Amino acid sequence: MQHNEEKTCWNCPAALLKGNVDFRACGQSIAVIQNKISEEGLLIECTRRPELGMFEPSITFEQCPEWRETQYGYLLKEMRVMILGIDGYLGWTLALKIAKLGCRVSGIDNYLRRNAVAEKGSKSVVPIADMETRLKTAKEQHGVDIDFRELDLLDRDELAEYLREVQPEAVVHYGEIPSAPYSMVDAEHAIRTQHNNTLGTLGVLFLIKEICPEANILKLGTMGEYGTPLTGRPIFEGLFPADAVLTWRGQEWSMGGELTPRDPASFYHVSKVQDTFNVYEACKYWWLRSYDVMQGVIFGVHTEEVAAHPDLRTRLDVDEWFGTVINRFVAQAVLGIPLTVYGSGEQIRGYLALEDAMECMVRLLSSPPEPGQYDVVNQLSQLYKVKELAEIVARVGSRRHGLTVRIQRVENPRIEADEHPFLVVAKKLRENLGYQPKTPLEVEIDRMFTLLLQPRVRGRLESVRDTVFPKTWWSGEHKETMTLEVYEPGTHVMAGYSPDLVVSDHDGDE
Amino acid sequence: MKPKAAIIGLDGVPIHLLEDLAQRGVMPHTKELIKQGNLMKMRSSLPANSAASWSSMITGTNPGTHGVYGFTDFIPGTYTVSFHNSHKLKAPPFWSTAPEKRVLIINLPAAYPAQPLNGTMITGFVSPQLEKAVYPPDLYPRLRDGGYEVDVDASLFKKSVSLFLQKLEETLDRRTRVLDHLLEKDGYDLLFFVVTGTDRIEHHLWDAYADGTHDQHPEFLGFFKKVDDAIAHITSKLDPDAPLMMLSDHGMGPIETAVNLNTLLREEGCLVTGDTPRKNFNNIREETRAFASESSKIYLNHVDRFPRGSVKPEDTPKIQGELVDLLSGLRYNGRKVVKAVHLKQDIFRGPETGDAPDLVVTPENGFSFKTGLFKESLFEEDFLSGAHTEDDAFLYLRGWSQDDRLPEHPCIEDSIHVFRKLIGEKLDAA
Ligand SMILES: NC(=O)c1ccc[n+]([C@@H]2O[C@H](COP(=O)([O-])OP(=O)(O)OC[C@H]3O[C@@H](n4cnc5c(N)ncnc54)[C@H](O)[C@@H]3O)[C@@H](O)[C@H]2O)c1
Repeated sequence: MQHNEEKTCWNCPAALLKGNVDFRACGQSIAVIQNKISEEGLLIECTRRPELGMFEPSITFEQCPEWRETQYGYLLKEMRVMILGIDGYLGWTLALKIAKLGCRVSGIDNYLRRNAVAEKGSKSVVPIADMETRLKTAKEQHGVDIDFRELDLLDRDELAEYLREVQPEAVVHYGEIPSAPYSMVDAEHAIRTQHNNTLGTLGVLFLIKEICPEANILKLGTMGEYGTPLTGRPIFEGLFPADAVLTWRGQEWSMGGELTPRDPASFYHVSKVQDTFNVYEACKYWWLRSYDVMQGVIFGVHTEEVAAHPDLRTRLDVDEWFGTVINRFVAQAVLGIPLTVYGSGEQIRGYLALEDAMECMVRLLSSPPEPGQYDVVNQLSQLYKVKELAEIVARVGSRRHGLTVRIQRVENPRIEADEHPFLVVAKKLRENLGYQPKTPLEVEIDRMFTLLLQPRVRGRLESVRDTVFPKTWWSGEHKETMTLEVYEPGTHVMAGYSPDLVVSDHDGDE
Repeated sequence: MKPKAAIIGLDGVPIHLLEDLAQRGVMPHTKELIKQGNLMKMRSSLPANSAASWSSMITGTNPGTHGVYGFTDFIPGTYTVSFHNSHKLKAPPFWSTAPEKRVLIINLPAAYPAQPLNGTMITGFVSPQLEKAVYPPDLYPRLRDGGYEVDVDASLFKKSVSLFLQKLEETLDRRTRVLDHLLEKDGYDLLFFVVTGTDRIEHHLWDAYADGTHDQHPEFLGFFKKVDDAIAHITSKLDPDAPLMMLSDHGMGPIETAVNLNTLLREEGCLVTGDTPRKNFNNIREETRAFASESSKIYLNHVDRFPRGSVKPEDTPKIQGELVDLLSGLRYNGRKVVKAVHLKQDIFRGPETGDAPDLVVTPENGFSFKTGLFKESLFEEDFLSGAHTEDDAFLYLRGWSQDDRLPEHPCIEDSIHVFRKLIGEKLDAA
């Protein structure tokens, strides 16, 4: 049984609702529309099967010849997917993966990331090819054609033209500045981040409404939008579940369906929260459909497709702006820098291997929300404390690669709770979309060590050594970050709160 | 240049209604026409819905040949209902077999989207977008700006009967004005005009026709008076002796009680449904042997046709037989409900019978069939007051040569052959 076999035309971007029912911009709830369907017989047309004429939106994916069975569920044959930010860490990896699965992939990028990393004085430690070489190699190694346009997504005229040409059935929006420290450097960086991310996304939404309103929009948010509430209340998947109740002064209100509170932790995270509202509103006003993907921190370098050839590798950054924690720890271990744990190191975050993140994205592509539906998934495979991650990296580095690894506690340049409870719900991908985490943390860390220890990569790593240590203070101060303590792995016990991840309704039943 | 011949369709008008209103002086022009020509009873198609019957009329064939069994059909391999469109018609309509003739067709049901032809076409109900209902396309802006409407929103009846009636008249007026405009602009060999308000008013106000004391009785007659005027208007565009055919696609009779066929099938264990959030045919489970759709069509849950099909070809005759017994035996307050159960193999001929329903049921006078999947009670009140009948449509001919034999028991698929004979040499002499 495939997770999406009972989905119907109602979930299919090839089903043309526009023109057949005039409900866009009417602000009606989905329930009203559903009523219309069953009582008045709403009819649609199919862009892929015009010969069917008008029909009920009730063909299931299993029944429809346009949906093909894959290991990730039914997938729309030759689905036209446009990736915004296709040159990035995730964008390029996903492009190869879905192209190999038979999607017709197109994408844009303005190389903002390459330039911003250069501004820091760094570069991807895993060497990456230029786009032309990437595309050529993808063709040679995987036999896939990926269409690329160098384009700033803020250039709406150009993007509109490209969208019209491609008529995407799904849009994956990765095209943002993804760094919290970058957004905290100074006014210029904060404004650039919010301008690029928030206004970029807003413009994209308008274009999608105009040009391809049926497209499945996969918008990247982050778990960082939620913050870490000190009460320990659950972090739901974006919207309160039906049985959530607010009690106040002895009275009760249902919270079901409302957006949950957000408590961002940097101006970058604020841009993501703003995106969330914009996407939510666009779905409400114009009946767009979207998954807002609250993604945990990604780590790793491996997928089958990027590993197939050096020119297909995706970027890996370890500098204090763009490197994410596990990736940075592995780099520090190779460089002989004690792993930099901020503050107490008791911070709990959600994590996900690159390979698993890609699988989740394919599953989300395979199961579009209904028109007008704004859905949110918390996309992560496991929760860890930062300190715990340092221990695991140290262990893999020493046992499997003979490195001597130590850990240092440094002053925390961020404004965040060092110690906090964290109860996270991440059910939808597992329960509704058939996802099971595949890549164990140790396995991916091991792969990273193997790659970073290659002489060529190690040489590049050495050359960016100076960019690794944290320097960007949330306070805006320009000062050195002090090391509080250096210690041997295995000498510190985990204290305080334990991570609590809820992945199914049955969790905690025993 | 005047059209040399014309066809006027009156959707859903039974012969006895036409005769009655002609006699009573409600339709004086029609009365005059009847005197001049031949009026006879005609059988509709089976099933007697407008999509099947008008398709039979324009192609001169049985549904087994033209492939249209109603406004809805099942997409092969699914339980998804697809809506009729003109690309699904598998037999050529009469105008395409004589492409040298210029035709003007206004308001032909089940012809959407309009397809290119030598002349002009404005399709009738059901036409979701006016823009696609028109050929040639440059006629569209004029219709749009003139407020042309293909059909009257039937839900209006519940909101306001007077507005509904007013809309019916308005729609008819606009249609005849469009006719005038088009005839002024251009010459045509053949004119084909269909009135559909007749079917609408009969469905909703049959009781007002039958009952002289009904509040809307005068309005009912008033509308037919308007139709009579329209007939006079259209015939005034022809030479007085030009060949003319008038016909209805099916008849109409009163409804007292609606019968939920799927409820019957469920109660007898023939239909087993699950419960998905959407109340459509995807709820049908494998244990199902038969289900009803579009009022009179019954489909067996064939293994090779439906995703959860379970009826094997060799079991078909047995199940058909069981259903005939079940349906024929149905009683309501002691009265028989079903007039006839027709088996697919007895009524459909031609290459398109694969998509045909396995049985077609016709009700006794006073009953109508409904096919909602989840209705609780077998019998209920119908919000309509008139239901289609299949055996009392009419066919009228002016200019029929007394030397030629008229068909004895004409059926709607004969009508176009009769018409060809009627126009004979006259049209070719142009
Ligand atoms: N990597 C992670 O751990 C992680 C975690 C959670 C969420 N995310 C989110 O996922 C998305 C992708 O992350 P990533 O790690 O691949 O980052 P990335 O910087 O490698 O990729 C983003 C790409 O978008 C491009 N881009 C940015 N602004 C653009 C613009 N205006 N026009 C055209 N292209 C533009 C960049 O050049 C870059 O190639 C981001 O939205 C990020 O916030 C990432």
